[in-house]
Amino acid sequence: MATNLFSWIKQSVFGKISCKKCLELLELITDNEASSEEEKRFREHINACLPCYESFNLEKSIKEMLQTKLEKKQVPEDLIESIKLKIRNHT
Amino acid sequence: MSIEKIKQNYSNLEKEGIFEKEFLPHINPMYNFAYRLTYDDDDAKDLVQETYLKAFRFLNSFQQGTNAKAWLFRILKNSFINDFRKKSKQPPKIDYQEVETYYNSDNVDVSMTTDLRVETVQHMIGDEVSNALNALDVDFRTVIILCDLEGFTYEEMSKILDIPIGTIRSRLHRARNLLKEKLHEYAKSMGFNK
Ligand SMILES: [Zn+2]
Repeated sequence: MATNLFSWIKQSVFGKISCKKCLELLELITDNEASSEEEKRFREHINACLPCYESFNLEKSIKEMLQTKLEKKQVPEDLIESIKLKIRNHT
Repeated sequence: MSIEKIKQNYSNLEKEGIFEKEFLPHINPMYNFAYRLTYDDDDAKDLVQETYLKAFRFLNSFQQGTNAKAWLFRILKNSFINDFRKKSKQPPKIDYQEVETYYNSDNVDVSMTTDLRVETVQHMIGDEVSNALNALDVDFRTVIILCDLEGFTYEEMSKILDIPIGTIRSRLHRARNLLKEKLHEYAKSMGFNK
């Protein structure tokens, strides 16, 4: 009885999924691969669970860091020319 | 996308058109991918050139209007494995067993995520990020590049790398944890993150 009550309270506070499930969804969410139902449950959970909310922020910040901080190299002009030349000689 | 089945029969003019309009626009991400695999300007140039020449030679296997970028990335990655990796004779370092079993096991690795802090990540500079990424084994580095830098979907990655989506997911997960470890080590050595 007491455990039932406890799990009922837990479920109504943290939503329908567990922290374990939430962490499994974490990458699907950040990678835009989750279904809308998964996304909904995930949001419900992190709105109520600080550790999972923080894990989500970390995951997002790492993805953002990779996208913004890494130097993007410009392809050398002569490479394009050399490829085009080789193609033309083949046709 | 699939290299095997569909055979087209393009005229030379059509070939040049496809090459110009669908292949060449991806040369910057291709060059960056090649560079992050080889760490060498000349090797990266060779790899990109080889890939484009192959793409042209086998253009009849490409279906116009399909995902040219994924098609090219797949050729590049195969060229890298077949030619470049052999040259460097690097033994594969991944413990695949460990990787594949991850999603069947009960212990989700939560501990890692608590060590590293968002502010630490946000204060990282380009060279630090680059060093952390470069420290990863090439198979782990590759999934991070394809997913986080190039924005390929799991399905596209699965086709580029010829591995099932489940393996893509577990490899990505492992790669990200390793990256967090590297970032955390770095932060500690700099006196951040207590
Ligand atoms: Zn939670």
